[in-house]
Amino acid sequence: MSWFTRLFARKRMEIDLERELRFHFEAQVADKVRSGIPESEARRLTRLEFGGIEQIKEDCRETRGTLWFESIVRDVRYGLRQLRKSPGFTIIAIASLALGIGANTTIFTITSEVLLDKLATYKPENLRLFAWTADQNRVPIRIWGHWDEATHACTSFSYPVYQQLRRQTTFFEDIFAFKDIPQVTVSVADNPEPVTAELVSGNYYSALGANTVLGRAIQNSDDGTPGSAAVVVISDGFWARHFGRSPDVIGKTIHVNLAPVTIIGVNPRAFTGASSVERSPDIFLPFSMESVAAPNGAESLLTDPNQWWVLVMGRIKPGVSDESARAAMDLNLSNAVRSTMMVEKDQSVPHFAMQDGSRGEDLDGEQYSKPVHVLMALAGVVLLLACANLANLLLARAGSRKRELSVRVALGAKQGRILRQMLVESLLLSVAGGAAGLLLGYCSRNAIPHLMSSSWQTAVNHVRFDWKVFGFTAAISLFTGLLFGFMPAWQAMHTPANSGLKENAHSATQGGGNLSGKTLVAVQIALSMLLLVGAGLFIRTLTNLNKNRLGFQPDNLVLFEIQAPGARYPAPKDLALYREIEDRLTSAPGVRSVTLSKNPLIAGNVSNDDFVPDGMPPKLNGPAFVDDNVVGEKFFATMGIPIVAGRGFGSIDTATSSLVAVVNQRLVKEYFPNINPVGRTFISNKKRIVIIGVSGDTRYASLRDDPPATFYTLYRQQSKSEPSVTFEVATPIEQSAVVPTLRSTVASVDKDLPLLDIRSQNAQISDRTRQERVFASLTSGFGLLALILACIGIYGIMAYSVSRRTNEIGIRMALGAEREQVQRMVLGESAWIAVIGVAAGIIGALALVRLIASMLYGLKAYDPLTFAASATLLLLVGLAASWIPARRAASLDPMRALRHE
Amino acid sequence: MKKTESRFDLPQGTLDLLIMRVVALGPIHGYAIAQRIQQMSREALQVQQGSLYPALHRLEYKKLLTASWQASETGREAKFYELTAKGRTHLRAETENWNRLTDVVGLILKGTLEGIS
Repeated sequence: MSWFTRLFARKRMEIDLERELRFHFEAQVADKVRSGIPESEARRLTRLEFGGIEQIKEDCRETRGTLWFESIVRDVRYGLRQLRKSPGFTIIAIASLALGIGANTTIFTITSEVLLDKLATYKPENLRLFAWTADQNRVPIRIWGHWDEATHACTSFSYPVYQQLRRQTTFFEDIFAFKDIPQVTVSVADNPEPVTAELVSGNYYSALGANTVLGRAIQNSDDGTPGSAAVVVISDGFWARHFGRSPDVIGKTIHVNLAPVTIIGVNPRAFTGASSVERSPDIFLPFSMESVAAPNGAESLLTDPNQWWVLVMGRIKPGVSDESARAAMDLNLSNAVRSTMMVEKDQSVPHFAMQDGSRGEDLDGEQYSKPVHVLMALAGVVLLLACANLANLLLARAGSRKRELSVRVALGAKQGRILRQMLVESLLLSVAGGAAGLLLGYCSRNAIPHLMSSSWQTAVNHVRFDWKVFGFTAAISLFTGLLFGFMPAWQAMHTPANSGLKENAHSATQGGGNLSGKTLVAVQIALSMLLLVGAGLFIRTLTNLNKNRLGFQPDNLVLFEIQAPGARYPAPKDLALYREIEDRLTSAPGVRSVTLSKNPLIAGNVSNDDFVPDGMPPKLNGPAFVDDNVVGEKFFATMGIPIVAGRGFGSIDTATSSLVAVVNQRLVKEYFPNINPVGRTFISNKKRIVIIGVSGDTRYASLRDDPPATFYTLYRQQSKSEPSVTFEVATPIEQSAVVPTLRSTVASVDKDLPLLDIRSQNAQISDRTRQERVFASLTSGFGLLALILACIGIYGIMAYSVSRRTNEIGIRMALGAEREQVQRMVLGESAWIAVIGVAAGIIGALALVRLIASMLYGLKAYDPLTFAASATLLLLVGLAASWIPARRAASLDPMRALRHE
Repeated sequence: MKKTESRFDLPQGTLDLLIMRVVALGPIHGYAIAQRIQQMSREALQVQQGSLYPALHRLEYKKLLTASWQASETGREAKFYELTAKGRTHLRAETENWNRLTDVVGLILKGTLEGIS
């Protein structure tokens, strides 16, 4: 019989055992009777010889090797019975665990995505993302892509360089290219909509090892000469949104930036492209479609050696070391640069670098890694807090179960058995809490991703709830079970057999019995202190940011973006289009004032240009760059920015009149100290521009940075094309009421132009503080939870302490103690616990706040106000929670207390 | 059944060996095993039920013995034990071990108890 059969054949084996021993017994009796002993005497003698028949049976059972398992099953049953007996305790325990574990599960789903998930392709660990580093004197490279300021590294290459690099096949199985285009306009059945696109090389799908679920993937033949194949592969999301997953989608025509394109395939649901593991671009186009998806005027980006914009990945061959591949590619890159670009004598050529490509370009991982770590830490503290709270509850319960344990010890239970019994009970709680937490995490899985997307964007983020999350939750559930169960179990294990039996319900002196309970409460308070300080710091950061003077009037402004498709509006027709829209909107009902700008304010975008004022001493360190913005005529009036000197733009400034600019006060301070700048000129972009006025300072890209020196030029006087601009509309009526008017007005100019990213200026501003708001609300939520748990903890421990000391208090009162004295005694005790906890919390917080210092604004990490407020709050809560036990102690009737059993 | 004066404790593991030796003679139930050991040791060894049955069960789970229910000499059903092939090999090896061990121990303990009397 194998171990498993033995486990399940328990009943039959019991019967057999009984029969076997019975046979032995009867045979022995029969032998005795045969030798002349009367039967009753024979039976008595045999019973004596046999000894304890149950003991023999138990010894036989032990040889089966299944007993330990069966006894665990018994422990679990017993534990369940215990928990059912005290439903209040069980509910509180499971609920607090569910909150702690649920918070961790939710945060972990983000962690998993931001830090752990790999691209859904064949062997993503073999993918390498190509990059380069360069010093100050590099060849003139224009970068469209991510430039890492800290490491001077960049992942963008020019298309001609990519074409040379991909000839390398010694170290790489294949080398492919891709580029995410953040916004293109796609019309399905005449409904224009902004979508995200990825341009991919012809070998992209084969090199990634990805395939389509429907139709075919993009192939090398699609990526020949520019414009050779007007084909598109769509994402699962796009397929579901626009075609309801209909299989007839293959062969249908959609319009990308007004150009007709044929759908040839649909990607699997898990496929997210090569640049990110979080979300998939909506459509995938071959690089031959570059002029449609990423129009750049007359010149094609594919042939421009100075424009570096393409991301390149290679699949490294098995067994090839990264270093040897890098060294070889460095040489290739150098050759490719020299053969495509003019390299002057004193210019340096970029050096090849290689990055892990298993998570794609992974900009999110870089950007959110720190916040996610902080979130994990916060959630961890909450879980610790829940553990401490539960350990405390269990300890108090262990006190009332002392008698039961003593009886078990007296009946021969081994210490190990008791330890196991107690741990099984706490694990039952933690598993139940874990299950509830998983459910909670599942329900709130979409609550946090707003950290990563703006409120006006459709949430395309799909949080994956996979085995990784499940495993994590299971692991932390078991861990917490052991953590909070261990101390009570340890204490129970050392229950002496006689103590609980001898001891009456009271003891005259306090004893050290609940010292560990008090320690736990102090730990709870210390942890709460951490969370409260965190909440305080983030809330103050948020209020500091919101208090900031913007320099403009954000109320009643509606923003939207217009993209002029290059196919229909080649320069300078795009500027004429914007002019037309501006004019029509000005006369639309419900519109007070209209302007447009290249960059909306507080949106994370800036542009800058060189700025060389005429007749001023040149700046010492090279050409000066200042921020600038291209705006409409009524920009200052619409945005509520004051003109402090000279004049703003007017109708006299036309496309043909002399170039004019308005500068802000900050620029005047930096470049024209104590000089009236109005009427002076400066050179920018090789053009001479006249300063006609000075405006007030406004914050530009973000709330955190001070208003930068800025000059504004008029879009009508631009010579370059602007592929997209943002319109700012001042309106006295509601946004929802005015948007239909805006849509119909734009449609009256061109029905194929969608209004992109419609939002109010205030929504735009609060979007820039998204992370701060998520942190402020999460830490406040966690902090509140911590306060409640600390309250329960202090109340519980003091109520328990008072009930244990009823007798002692009675004696004190009988000996003349005043009620106030008794009350002070109880309050003093809890005050001590609170003070020690707060002190420990302050020390811990001082050590930890350094880590979040860079996320704060307008205050020091060890902000005394926050620390003092948190400490005071906790002390007050501590006193308030012990108020009721203290009152109860003080109102004891000494006679009753003395008799209290 | 009188208890003999010369009863002594069996060294660890010896009981298993004795049981297997008895079972090797043919299918036999627990009571008969105890009887047989007692007889063969000329009443010197008396196997207690409390040791016999756990040992039998342990040997059964180790697949050294196999058991089946058969009618006994009195007509009642009893659990009869038999050696398995594995048990037979085991018994042979263990018996050899035992003989070697007793020879060696005997060599050392031979002679009069000089020096300790």
